Amino acid sequence: MHRRWLIPFAAMVLLWSLVAQLNHSLAPHGVYLFAAGLLPVFAALRLSLRHGFTATLLAGLAAEATEPFRLPGTLLLLLAAVHILLYHLRYRFPRDQTIFCVAAALIANLAVFLGVSTVELAGHPAPGAAWLRLFADLAWSQLLVLVVAPWFFALQERALVLARVDLFAESHR
Amino acid sequence: MSSLRFVQAKPFVVLGVVVLAWLLLPVVVKSFLRAGFAEFQAPIAVTASYARDLQTYWAERAHSRNELIEAGRDLAHVYAGYEFQAQQTDELRQEVSRLEQLLRLPSNPNYRLEPARVVRRDLSGWWQQLVIRKGSNYGIVPGAPVVFSGGVVGRIREVHATTAVVDLLSSSRVRLAANIEEDTRPVSYQGGDNRSLSPARGLVDFVPPDIVTYSSNPRRLVTSSLGGVFPAGLTIGYITRLETSPDGMFKNGDVALDPRLSELTEVTVLVPLNAE
Repeated sequence: MHRRWLIPFAAMVLLWSLVAQLNHSLAPHGVYLFAAGLLPVFAALRLSLRHGFTATLLAGLAAEATEPFRLPGTLLLLLAAVHILLYHLRYRFPRDQTIFCVAAALIANLAVFLGVSTVELAGHPAPGAAWLRLFADLAWSQLLVLVVAPWFFALQERALVLARVDLFAESHR
Repeated sequence: MSSLRFVQAKPFVVLGVVVLAWLLLPVVVKSFLRAGFAEFQAPIAVTASYARDLQTYWAERAHSRNELIEAGRDLAHVYAGYEFQAQQTDELRQEVSRLEQLLRLPSNPNYRLEPARVVRRDLSGWWQQLVIRKGSNYGIVPGAPVVFSGGVVGRIREVHATTAVVDLLSSSRVRLAANIEEDTRPVSYQGGDNRSLSPARGLVDFVPPDIVTYSSNPRRLVTSSLGGVFPAGLTIGYITRLETSPDGMFKNGDVALDPRLSELTEVTVLVPLNAE
């Protein structure tokens, strides 16, 4: 399969849409979930740079198109940086183990969340109250990532296997 | 040795190229990419919204006939009241138009009402926005005011082919001129105080020092005709607290917004008639 970035990209769009639906339902309760940091983790740890990075960039563009970032490209560049960092470090860790992937997803989500918050809160009229809200949202989001990450990794892995992608060869490129 | 170093540095070179490409990319291309990806994802959100409507439809079908008859009777009462009010509104409109001609005043802007379903609520600590199920296909334009039965919802920020994005009143990006009810002096309203597990609040600035408010009897904040796009007199919220600003010349405080803002399912867009 030549366009193997299509599978992780489709999975990322699916996750982004599901979280958006969850946020729609949670909006009346003043809770917001953010799982963008989870998007590039599998692609960075298990796919080649070419296919994984393409999927991450496309997912970054898709995610950014639905949100009003003050600085265009914030999420795209944060996801790209997380992807490259994870890709660079992946040979040093047992990346086939789900528990390591989940830990990486939690750290990635924390980094992306704080990055977005720093950019978005510049010029906010009530930054103190906003940070309190953001820390609460971060706690809920990390809980979501912890629950959803194993399913999300398994989904991508199974889809790639069904598409007859050699994951072993792919992860050593 | 040098090729090994390049292999190790390759990911960072790629990242550098991507960052540089993004920075150098013309705004037109960025806007095109944004619009393209937004249109690509719009059917997903719209389909989910239709599925929710279908879910509601089947849930409502479970009501008994007696409940429906009672609801129909109640609606008939409400409808009769609104019919009378509509007649009064027509008469008042004619009166306003006659006075405008008599006094040679410029006429107030007219709007077409465009009801729209809410496809997606996106209310975070960073932004507060709604996506509605009507876009340029219904003549919706950026900047158009959006209202509901409780007052102002916000204004249209982005318009796509079949959807539009509304900046909610609770968003820190919404700032508008307002009036305190029964006072003609303008004040400034800005959203942004959105706490966890509680309704959104806004902030009011430049309130004249003689204005007082009590939490038991809050003052209503309404849109001002100075605000540009919004018709005057629409409810923004209620001022629950006021304190003297650091310079001592004005007061600032908190505005309690309608808690229904975060659970809206249907809104009305006021499409300016001169924009069509």
